[in-house]
Amino acid sequence: MFYKLPNTLIDTLRNWLPVFYSTTLVTFSIGLYYAIYNSPPDYIQGDSMRIMYVHVPAAWLSLGSYSILAISCIAWFVFRNPIFNLFAKSIAPIGAVFTIIALVTGSIWGKPTWGTWWAWDARLTSMLILFFLYIAYMMTWQVIVNKELAAKISAALGTIGFINIPIIKFSVDWWNTLHQPATISKLSAPSIHISMLTPLMLMTIAYLFLLITLFLIRYKTELVEVKISRIKH
Amino acid sequence: MWFYNLIVRDLKLAFYSSTNFLFAASFLILILILLPFIIDPKVNQFIQIYTGFIWLSIALSILLTIDRVFESDYEDGNLDAIILTQKPLELIVCSKFISHWIANCIPIIVVIPISAILFGININEIINIILNVLAGSTGMVFIGSAVSSLTLGNKRSGIYKSIIVIPLYIPFIIFGANQESVLVLIGLSMFAFIFSLFTTTYSLRLYVE
Repeated sequence: MFYKLPNTLIDTLRNWLPVFYSTTLVTFSIGLYYAIYNSPPDYIQGDSMRIMYVHVPAAWLSLGSYSILAISCIAWFVFRNPIFNLFAKSIAPIGAVFTIIALVTGSIWGKPTWGTWWAWDARLTSMLILFFLYIAYMMTWQVIVNKELAAKISAALGTIGFINIPIIKFSVDWWNTLHQPATISKLSAPSIHISMLTPLMLMTIAYLFLLITLFLIRYKTELVEVKISRIKH
Repeated sequence: MWFYNLIVRDLKLAFYSSTNFLFAASFLILILILLPFIIDPKVNQFIQIYTGFIWLSIALSILLTIDRVFESDYEDGNLDAIILTQKPLELIVCSKFISHWIANCIPIIVVIPISAILFGININEIINIILNVLAGSTGMVFIGSAVSSLTLGNKRSGIYKSIIVIPLYIPFIIFGANQESVLVLIGLSMFAFIFSLFTTTYSLRLYVE
């Protein structure tokens, strides 16, 4: 197993990581400055609307990292190259943490806006289920001791979860809906003003760099682990 | 013919170890015994709570019994012997699904009308519930067996299995607990059948090779 891993990748990652650290710091400072000081409060929700700048990027990227996980699982089925398993394995905990951030900030935002911490509608429920899909994926690597087998089983599991999310979304939608419809689904004419869109986009970029940085750290760790296990054998 | 023989063999095994056959039905009744202590049966909308409890106990009883689909055969080596017969693995898996469904869900369906009489549910609603259970429990058994095949021979995978299985059961519970949606349940079960067939054969090939 793991026969096609490039050896110089670890050194390259080690050299490039400081660049990613500093970019994440800079983008977060700019994004938070715009989100807290340089944007108008909402005329209905007031300053509580600013939670959006933390909540929405986390929600987007938690879904995005699950898509990356599922796509690398499917890619493993196609190419049978273990590098894709390491991709999925390194992105799973980051996605889980982003899901928690989205859930917690969402319920903090929901209290002043909807008057309740939690509502059982399609989006919230499917986000909660997404969190448990991440947990199930990560547990696979813990429960199944044989690493080669765990890689194969977890690839199947990531694919199943990817199919399951839209089914759950549909069935809960059918059951009950309370959440407001998506605001920025259409890129051409967003129904959000430009002065709020700018900090939102800046924060999304900052979160994206955070995701990439954390992913590269974990990926490097996985590569080192593979190398160590190779030396042991 | 071998397909039929395999099903009969599994059913005989389930019947002779009498705990297996009675487990699901008695579990359902025991859960329903708790119901009057929680809520008064004369209350309005009691039928919704009753159907909810039925689906909850079906989900839990399937979750508790899915280990038996492949686990015992895998432990004593019978699964290897069955697979070595060179019959199509998909058909073997199908027979396992069918025999497990008969051994666990038929007793539940037999018990539901009796429990409904105890709670004073009228006949139309009983028929509705039974149709829903017939359509939905098949898919739940398929999914459960597929997930149990993912961790063959692993003793400490109980919580892991329920974390995977319960999110997959959500659509069945949603459509099952709301009446007049038998067709959706049948569709879901067919979809579940295809996917669990592929998953189960995939993981059986991984474990038995």
